[in-house]
Amino acid sequence: MKKLISTLYGMLMSAFLAVALVPTQAFSDETCMSPYMAKIVGQEDYVYVWTLGQVGVGDEQDKLVTIAVNPNSPHYGNVIGHVSVGGRNEAHHSGFTDDRHYLWAATLDTSKIFIFDVHTNPNKPKLHKVITNFVKASGGIVGPHTTYALPGRMMISGLSNNQDFGGRTALVEYTNDGTYVATYHMPHDENLYGATKTGQIADGYGYDVRALPRRNVMITSSFTGWNNYMMNLGKLMGDSDAMKRFGNTVVVWDLHSRKPKKVFDVPGAPLEIRCAWGSQNNYCFTTTALTSQIWLIYEKDGEWQTESVGTIGDPAKIPLPVDISITADDKHLWVNTWNDGMTRVFDISDPHNAKEVYTKVIGDQVNMLSQSWDGKRVYFTSSLLANWDKADGPEKMPQFFKAYDYKDGELQFKFAIDFATEKLGMPHQMRFGAYSLYAKSPKDGAKVAELSK
Amino acid sequence: MFKKILFICLLPLVASAQETIYDSFVLAPGWTKLSFIPPESGTYTLPTYPKATNGNVINHKSEVKSLYQLYDNKITLLNFMYTTCTDINGCPLATAVFHKIQQKVSKDPVLSKKIRLLSLSFDPKNDTPDVLKLYATGTDKQLVDWQFLTSSSPELLDPILRGYQQRIVKEYDENGNYIGSISHILRVFLIDQEKNVRNIYSVSFLHPDLLINDIKTLLDPKTKNGTVIARSAN
Repeated sequence: MKKLISTLYGMLMSAFLAVALVPTQAFSDETCMSPYMAKIVGQEDYVYVWTLGQVGVGDEQDKLVTIAVNPNSPHYGNVIGHVSVGGRNEAHHSGFTDDRHYLWAATLDTSKIFIFDVHTNPNKPKLHKVITNFVKASGGIVGPHTTYALPGRMMISGLSNNQDFGGRTALVEYTNDGTYVATYHMPHDENLYGATKTGQIADGYGYDVRALPRRNVMITSSFTGWNNYMMNLGKLMGDSDAMKRFGNTVVVWDLHSRKPKKVFDVPGAPLEIRCAWGSQNNYCFTTTALTSQIWLIYEKDGEWQTESVGTIGDPAKIPLPVDISITADDKHLWVNTWNDGMTRVFDISDPHNAKEVYTKVIGDQVNMLSQSWDGKRVYFTSSLLANWDKADGPEKMPQFFKAYDYKDGELQFKFAIDFATEKLGMPHQMRFGAYSLYAKSPKDGAKVAELSK
Repeated sequence: MFKKILFICLLPLVASAQETIYDSFVLAPGWTKLSFIPPESGTYTLPTYPKATNGNVINHKSEVKSLYQLYDNKITLLNFMYTTCTDINGCPLATAVFHKIQQKVSKDPVLSKKIRLLSLSFDPKNDTPDVLKLYATGTDKQLVDWQFLTSSSPELLDPILRGYQQRIVKEYDENGNYIGSISHILRVFLIDQEKNVRNIYSVSFLHPDLLINDIKTLLDPKTKNGTVIARSAN
């Protein structure tokens, strides 16, 4: 009988898998969320913009700005509120917890992390908690950058350290309720922490972090330390020694054990990392700010490797690629270039050969971009870093949020918000919000967003 | 015997009935063979998260027990679920993974005595002790103990859910009628013998081989309760 039950179970399971394992397709992404996090697959209700405070503009404080972007809302195209956090901290990137109830907004100067409650009232985020001991708790890591959701916890990539304020840094893990868990140092020449150095460089620098759980892989990139990112850009460019202190590596980690496995040479400050969504597409992309290249980080025959697969603009003119976004069909990669204010779309159907297929000028110092899950809407913001933005004074400095529809391979302008005129500051990273994430409806009767399960 | 067959059959039947609505889904790794070689047990440290939350629950025999009584110096895997959950990558996945763990670990009489599986329902109204009996009796002859739990009221359950940050949202139709489904993020907790949470698994990480590896790491002499004692030579 035991054998019979086992056979029956096996047959049923096999039948189920045969039915359920039909090819699946994901339709675009919210560009860079953790795998399996609830996604807004239709029209999002809000865009939350983590915004740097600017001297002489409004209350001069960093703030989370909420913009209504659902055309069914009577407030469509308008800022409907903001939460100021009491000072300037070099607001930069933000990320949701895995349950999407809280938004962790990190800062590069004071190393504070502001945690916003976005679920109680999605149109009015509330400051829930501030982590003020990041540097001390982590053992001296400075400049929390990416806040990336893992189950019940956040993995945070640092940019610097409190010993020399250079680029050597670490990953830092916290629980979702803000309790420090562990620090994982980036491998460098003095201590590779068990990793293999595949090229000439092991700099120990950090910037972005992403994971491919299905391959048990975590990937980090490398930028520069506090000394550089807080320096005036003109001064920095004229300092040949400082210009040598940029990251030139990508590290592939064992996700489960949190151990670095391989260090790769990727010269020229590899920044954002975006991984493919297809269940068989075991690769990620990054772009290098200083050398203007698209790099593929991919697995072949069980081994991870890197390869330069495309050039962005004219590297001699330093277009400075900044934010990137992969479509969920893995066919296109959006790349913003800060110096010429352009967005570019690359065909990455062949990930080893990225070809530029579309360009459009968005505006001076365009930096971040976020596309909707269905790929029909793309949002852009200006501002890179407080001391790197073009310093023509608040009146002349372009600081914008721009909304576009993307249809038939063409961007169609919808609306813009001038963050200087609105006295908000310098807009940086965007995240999407929706009532339906929390089984709620907007009070104004607007149709709720559609969600993935 | 009928109950045992019912339990064993339950997962695939529930799942197959629902598959058509998940056409944009990627099936969770836990349903299939692990697609990578996991790190060897005992070679890595499991971070120590805050203490597991305590609270009173009811087992399928209607006995009131505290979670700490149930943890009972064992390595515990705890998941939150409700029996009418129809999400392939939700509760049925966790139940299937627990089933596989029970099958695999029960072959090791020493290891199996050190492990307990707990499935706690967050739908006490429907998941009464009598309902949970259907599940429990399907697992009662295995060496690895697997208990199905519920609560006497939402008020007693809420502090437990808060403690584990297991958020649930009941879903309603346009007319405000409860449609019987409860939105939640799948979470499974690994709790060591000192009642510390040592790992948290969600859909993309929940695989029996990984969980068994973590359990073995907690018990491995190369670690002190899951913390590597000596750095490996490499």
